[in-house]
Amino acid sequence: MAAPIALGATVNEARFISALLATACALPASAATYTFVVAGLGGEPAYEQKFREQAAAVAGAAETAAGSTNNVIALSGDAARADAVRREFKTLASRMNANDSVVIVLIGHGSFDGENYRFNLPGPDLTDTDLARLFDELPARDQLIINATSASGAVIERWRKPKRVVITATKSGGEKTATRFAQYWAEAVASDAADTNKDQIVTAAEAYAFANGKVEAAFKAETSMATEHARMEGDNSARFTIARLGTAALAPDNPEVAALLTQRGTIEQDLNRVKEQKASLPDTQYYDQLEEVLVRLALLQREIDAKVGGGATP
Amino acid sequence: MMTRTATLVLLLLGTTAGAQSIDYDPRRAVELRSCDEHRYRGRTEQARTCYTKLLESQTPIVEAEAAWALGDIQRANQIFRDAVQSNERAVQPRVRWARLFLQTHQYSDAADLFNEALKVFPNDVHAKLGLASVYAERFEGQARPLVEDALKQDSDLVEGHLLTASMDLEEGQLDDAEKALDRAMRVVNKDKLPPLEVYTLRASLEMSRGGNPDQWIKRILDYNPRYGAVYQQLAHFEIMRRRYKEATVLLRRAVEVQPDLWAAHAELGSNLLRLGIVDEARTHLQAAYSGDPYSPTTVNSLRLLDRIDEFSISEDPVVIGPDTYQVRLRLHKKESEILRPYVLDLTGRSIQSFTQRYGFKPRETVTVELYPDHDDFAVRVAALPGIGLLGVTFGYVVAMDSPSSRSTSEFHWGSTLWHEMAHVFTLELTDHYVPRWLSEGISVFEEWRTGPTPGVVVPPEAIAALEKKQFLPVADLDSGFIRPSYPGQVQVSYMQSGLVCLFIEQRWGFEQLGALLRQFDGKRTTAQAIEATFKIAPAAFDKEFDAFVRNRFQTVLANFEDWQKQQGAAGQAIQKQRWADAIEPARRAVALYPEHVGGDSPHLMLAKALDKLNRRPEAIAALEAYHRAGGWDPLALRELSRWLDEAGRAQEATDLMVSLNYSDPLNADVHSQLGERLLTAGRAEEALREFQALLALNTLDEAPAHYGMARALREMGDKAGSRRHLLDALATAPHFKPAQALLLKMIEERT
Repeated sequence: MAAPIALGATVNEARFISALLATACALPASAATYTFVVAGLGGEPAYEQKFREQAAAVAGAAETAAGSTNNVIALSGDAARADAVRREFKTLASRMNANDSVVIVLIGHGSFDGENYRFNLPGPDLTDTDLARLFDELPARDQLIINATSASGAVIERWRKPKRVVITATKSGGEKTATRFAQYWAEAVASDAADTNKDQIVTAAEAYAFANGKVEAAFKAETSMATEHARMEGDNSARFTIARLGTAALAPDNPEVAALLTQRGTIEQDLNRVKEQKASLPDTQYYDQLEEVLVRLALLQREIDAKVGGGATP
Repeated sequence: MMTRTATLVLLLLGTTAGAQSIDYDPRRAVELRSCDEHRYRGRTEQARTCYTKLLESQTPIVEAEAAWALGDIQRANQIFRDAVQSNERAVQPRVRWARLFLQTHQYSDAADLFNEALKVFPNDVHAKLGLASVYAERFEGQARPLVEDALKQDSDLVEGHLLTASMDLEEGQLDDAEKALDRAMRVVNKDKLPPLEVYTLRASLEMSRGGNPDQWIKRILDYNPRYGAVYQQLAHFEIMRRRYKEATVLLRRAVEVQPDLWAAHAELGSNLLRLGIVDEARTHLQAAYSGDPYSPTTVNSLRLLDRIDEFSISEDPVVIGPDTYQVRLRLHKKESEILRPYVLDLTGRSIQSFTQRYGFKPRETVTVELYPDHDDFAVRVAALPGIGLLGVTFGYVVAMDSPSSRSTSEFHWGSTLWHEMAHVFTLELTDHYVPRWLSEGISVFEEWRTGPTPGVVVPPEAIAALEKKQFLPVADLDSGFIRPSYPGQVQVSYMQSGLVCLFIEQRWGFEQLGALLRQFDGKRTTAQAIEATFKIAPAAFDKEFDAFVRNRFQTVLANFEDWQKQQGAAGQAIQKQRWADAIEPARRAVALYPEHVGGDSPHLMLAKALDKLNRRPEAIAALEAYHRAGGWDPLALRELSRWLDEAGRAQEATDLMVSLNYSDPLNADVHSQLGERLLTAGRAEEALREFQALLALNTLDEAPAHYGMARALREMGDKAGSRRHLLDALATAPHFKPAQALLLKMIEERT
């Protein structure tokens, strides 16, 4: 895996450990992750409430992941006006540097008239061009942008940029029905359901796979025609941590653990080597080798847990 | 008036075997008749020469009829269209043009043209007959009054008598069919018309009575040795009675006698598909396509066959006592791993139940096919998409919608399978002679009595029909299925048939239902079977049944308006979230009509309101009553399961969740929760099944399913299997702590 993640001015070693739990890679100590969530105009009370709740869930998870409320900005309801969004982008830009990461989440309704995408806000909307300019002005090069609105697919090519991952709820500007993607994205960051490798860290890759799968399943269960098809552009979305769960969020400061985690990284590499040989090894040999590596990993994890104080889940 | 530009399908001379292959229209031009005579006698070449000459006729209608007879449908269409457009008040060209549409299965256009002709001349009997034929083709109830009206005007209309006889035969009214055929024959003899159609229906009547139709077939083939339509027509009535094997024999004979009878090839192909004989079906469908490439039914069936590789086939033995039955499942590959255990289990249970209850043991492999795309299912059973059925049984072959083809709240696939499996028994026990009403009645009755959602569920539409005295006499009950005369009558007929079976069980005992079923050996009508079994006349049976059903539903019948009012009041209160206001009307609605367990059931409203008011024990009781009455909504039952759990009734909660697999088997959460519950309850084998389904369903997150299987197999003593799945779980999710803990425990135990 490549480098990432949630390190900031307020970062402590615990979060550094947590980052390693996910990646087993060292990071520039100054890197931090900032999150900006905007819930746009609902148009009717039910949507207003839903968007607000989704934004709160995403922002809450980002705060837990960052270990601080300082790295997270959330705007919703009447506060989410275009001028406020512009102002907060400026605030955000002033706090970060090029090594930082930023996660931007847009929730609500969008529209596309064939030329311009508009993010619906109270008062004047923001167009795809307005938003692109705001993103470009952020110093952080590592950017994850999640546009969960209707018609969001219209922006995916326009916002594409090196080191930027763009996720949209729809495949094009033509999918104009209110979307469900944000609801499942919020679910992904608020529980362990999306954490498929069980490392207690939810990455953007995991959350995308989860939300996408849930949207598909929802339409299938209703036997209705799917009105949204999510897309993701950009490489290595797994480098973005968007939620930390359980001990990954609570791990104490302990330099010994860092050494153990380095060891664990080595074992994980061994594991990957065994897995790569699955097709070429006889079954018995494959499982024997797998067991040997996994036992080593489990024993080491027991040690880490004892030091961190998390303990194995019964 | 119409300015139709529709393209008609191209048919060849002698291939247009529909309901009527002889043109009895007395207004037919004289110069056509000598050509017709050659055609009716099977002298194809002479007929062709004769009609070809008439293509030069100066009379447009004659030219059009000649072109039609020669198979040049486009030319006939063009001439009829010009004739109609040049004279807005032309009746006969309009009727003939409509006939052309009727013969090429374009029923809506045909009906429009017949109606236009009737606007110009309301008393035109041929337009009335044509319209009645359209209705009859679509099995619509208006056919009968219209044909009766035409015959009142002109009792010499051969086609009117033939149409009446045909409908009588379809509905099993054999004596009435005979009378209609006698009247037709008198006119045929008097006017020296070709007798082929009358003989054909005579043969069908003979066969319907269990006799031998050979004497009529001989007469027909003596008259026209290439008249394959007689076999096609006999096959049609066999298919109507769901005697598919017998129909296959006849259709094979039809194409032997007349190899270019493409409609018979098509029907033979469809029928072979019903019997699961796929390769031969494809051969005949391809033959049909070569002669008639425009038939939508043929094209649809061939397209479905092109995708047959998307389905996987398994064959498993089902052992019941000393007997072993074979069950073949044809499931779509994308869901076969998930559904197979549940479909096999339920099929096996249904065989166990029905062999015991009806004393019949299946003699062939039972095939169950599930289609995730409803249109594929519709094409499979009727060769046309868009039909509203959920399942169909062709003897030992059951085809039905898969749970993924419909919303979980509107389709209980387990009940549908149970219903269809009951048909396997009623059809095969009677060699397919069981009348439609009794086969459907027993299937509905078995859903109520022994199915996965027991409870006598009768929807408001059936109660309303009972109130309006729309239930049919038992001897005529088949007509409610075959030719409904009001919207919703088919559904009402299902319910009435089920209630008749319930009545028999209550009045004479369950054994007598089986005794009645065994009466149907091809020689008895419903009326005769009722008399023979219960020793009472059908009219007396109807009277007792009416008293029974009115007594059973007396409360709701006496208070139907009040029930509607209470139901409405409860619904409104729920909508406005005035929970306290919902309780009394919902309770009253439940008390008046507890059998209503549909989506707007008052049971559900009552439970919701009680729960919102923190009266959980009463809410549980309300949902339990709903479930006991046959309610199965997966959302409601999941909620009940949760409530039971919270109330410390874990065992009942688990059992309730097990039942959800027969309505909502594609729900990963249900399998996951159920697997855990069953493991906790020590039911490892069942838990394994749930985790296997979870693995097949949840490809994104495989670790919990593997881990569940590892634990279940461990409980079952399969250490090697357990280890393998545990390692698979950790290979997917190396940091999965519970799995790591189990791995270390496993190693510790080994050392």
